[in-house]
Amino acid sequence: MRRLLHLGAVASLATVLASALAAVLAWRYGETILPFAVTSAMPQDGGVADGVYTNAYFGLSYPLPKGFGEGLAGPDPSQSGYYVLANLVAQAGGAGTILIAAQDTFFDKPHRDLAEAASEVRDTMAQIEGMSIDREPAEIAIGRRPASRPAWRVDFNGVGLYRAMIMTEMRCHLLSITLTARDPQERETLAQSLDRVSLTARRDPPVCIRDYAGGDQLVHKVAPTDIMPSRTPIPARIIIGSDGVVRHVHVIRATNAQRKGIEDVLRQWRFKPHTINGRAVEVETGLALRSGGGKVTSTD
Amino acid sequence: MAKRTFASACSLASMSAILVASVSLPSLAPAQGRGPTDPGVRGGAAGAGDPITGLSATERAFFEAAKDVFAETDGVPDGLGPRFNLDSCLGCHSQPASGGSAPAVNPQVAVATLLGARNTLPSFITANGPVREARFVRNPDGSPDGGVHALFVITGRSDAPGCSIAQPNFAAELSRNNVVFRIPTPTFGLGLVESTPDSALEASLAANSQQKRALGISGRFNHNGNDGTIARFGWKAQNKSLLLFSGEAYNVEIGVTNDLFPSEREGNAACQFNHTHPESPTPLESEGGASPSAGFQSDIALFAAFMRLLAPPTPASATAAVAAASPSSTTTGSTVVASAGSVLPAAAGTTSTATTSSTTSTSATVDRGRQVFANVGCAACHTRTQRSGGANVAALSNVTFEPYSDFAVHDMGDRLADGVSQGEANGREFRTAPLWGVGQRIFFLHDGRTKDLGEAIAQHASRGSEANQVIQNYNALSVDDRQAVLNFLRSL
Repeated sequence: MRRLLHLGAVASLATVLASALAAVLAWRYGETILPFAVTSAMPQDGGVADGVYTNAYFGLSYPLPKGFGEGLAGPDPSQSGYYVLANLVAQAGGAGTILIAAQDTFFDKPHRDLAEAASEVRDTMAQIEGMSIDREPAEIAIGRRPASRPAWRVDFNGVGLYRAMIMTEMRCHLLSITLTARDPQERETLAQSLDRVSLTARRDPPVCIRDYAGGDQLVHKVAPTDIMPSRTPIPARIIIGSDGVVRHVHVIRATNAQRKGIEDVLRQWRFKPHTINGRAVEVETGLALRSGGGKVTSTD
Repeated sequence: MAKRTFASACSLASMSAILVASVSLPSLAPAQGRGPTDPGVRGGAAGAGDPITGLSATERAFFEAAKDVFAETDGVPDGLGPRFNLDSCLGCHSQPASGGSAPAVNPQVAVATLLGARNTLPSFITANGPVREARFVRNPDGSPDGGVHALFVITGRSDAPGCSIAQPNFAAELSRNNVVFRIPTPTFGLGLVESTPDSALEASLAANSQQKRALGISGRFNHNGNDGTIARFGWKAQNKSLLLFSGEAYNVEIGVTNDLFPSEREGNAACQFNHTHPESPTPLESEGGASPSAGFQSDIALFAAFMRLLAPPTPASATAAVAAASPSSTTTGSTVVASAGSVLPAAAGTTSTATTSSTTSTSATVDRGRQVFANVGCAACHTRTQRSGGANVAALSNVTFEPYSDFAVHDMGDRLADGVSQGEANGREFRTAPLWGVGQRIFFLHDGRTKDLGEAIAQHASRGSEANQVIQNYNALSVDDRQAVLNFLRSL
């Protein structure tokens, strides 16, 4: 246990250092190339240090509003690839909460674009008894220039809680930031704090391709034979190098035994290199694994 | 050593969770000192325990026959034991009517020494506490256990001469933090739940996914390991059907072997007094009675039928009209002030100390509470409506009902985690408890740790819980709005 904690601390430290480096580079140069250690980060690896929430996977650095810190941690990643990345709350002398979450788009129903996702949020909230829409879905930008990113925002309120949901797409995820305050001005103050977000991006991020692992591109597959019986598909995300070799495996939700077995076999899979304009590129994709004869399917 | 380490880790984890909660939760709590007060168990008519409306005369006769068997007390000659938690279904499921949940006076206290039995009452069983079963988290070798360890044995009972077996050493297991508890779940309206197609539950869970996304909620179903369909009964949605639920409870809680669970859990031959196996099989000849069909049914089939045909609880808005018309119901022995138009007459003998107008439960505050409940996000999991599919019993067929549950399991965080895995539900996950009838329930949460609705709500928040954002929203409300939520819940 102590050894595990030690290793965990080292890993966390490495992530924090890499994040800090990325943040510094982003501050200095805007968009930058992240070091390899950051490439292998997991979506849930973010955290708050010195009043700044950083997440290496998403290349996100967010100096929190004054007085804010981490609240109760959320649950582990879900079966459908949903993450509670951060629950940020006013520690003293203020009010409001900021929930940063991400939905893996490989395991969600496909949206045409952010506008459609925002519209769906708006319609869902409008159906709740007593909820009012304060601001129709509209495109905004979040983050410091020049690396700001398009996002969509919708505001709503009910029973004295004023909320805004801001959504953007990053690394094959729908990233959402939900602001909750007791009055519209507080909500706006929280929204303005998002202007301080720094977004860094790899110059050549993996291409997101849904269902890629289930197609003809897969040239060598080893079935996971030792995963525990499970009727529920086990979600996993892989990054395939430009040479077709699996570079990174992230089993999103599974038991430790399942995780180990799946990681071992997925690293043996080989793909045809994916090319864009004749140039081989990295691919990021999701797949759902089911037990029962080691059947492996792509996302469904 | 491994167990001690585990126990120590549990203690540390619990302490950490409490510390984290105590540090983090106040950040959104309103500054006001006075908080809302649980109005207490709703008095007036039970509003539960009757058959579902629309049964044919034959079906009603079947229900009544099944209800009688549900109420029967078993002795050793009937199959009780050798290890058991209670001697009847009704004993556990009686509040506020047959089929409900744990009553105010725990019948386990009396049964411990009934007919000369020499059981030591475990410390977690008290006269005014909830009916409980006990599960051990781990086996002595440290491997996962999770199973029920019956509280009592038949040793010493006059109907069990010569049997000498010992109770589990609960004190020792408690000292190792190895014991977790479950209380009975109410069974009202479960025929509608059983008749709801998987596709309807899946669609319902997906329908408000955007709201959940804004609240940090996901949730998933506990699927049956054999056929892959959705299981939905029990605290972790671990049981697939009412028949399975009945068969398991008959064996595990009362100790009666049956067609689904034909093996005795205690192998001591000196304690086997009913030499038929199973002890409660499907009869091959009718046992007579008002319902010829029921006469051919096994006990577990009748238990299942009783639960299947039980009506959902009737919320206060309907019963209150009756209660309000009665002069004796407008004021009660409790201190809850029931004003004109009150829909929540307090149960006599409840311990609520609410005396202010904010705890007066008018229909207006109930309506407001329903709205608040939906707005802050409680209803994202405690989904108000579901719809059954086609059923053999017409009264159960294609009915929209209001269980206030999505029947999915959710990570409930450190404070509620019990470390017991059942099916696909892990040691932190629990089914969204249906809230219909919660107004007349005495004990809350899976282990009955509180009688206070406000405390039950607070327990939803801790490290790792899917409910954290919702509880933060709730804590940010005015006292009046939080009171309205409690009033609304007590109206159900």
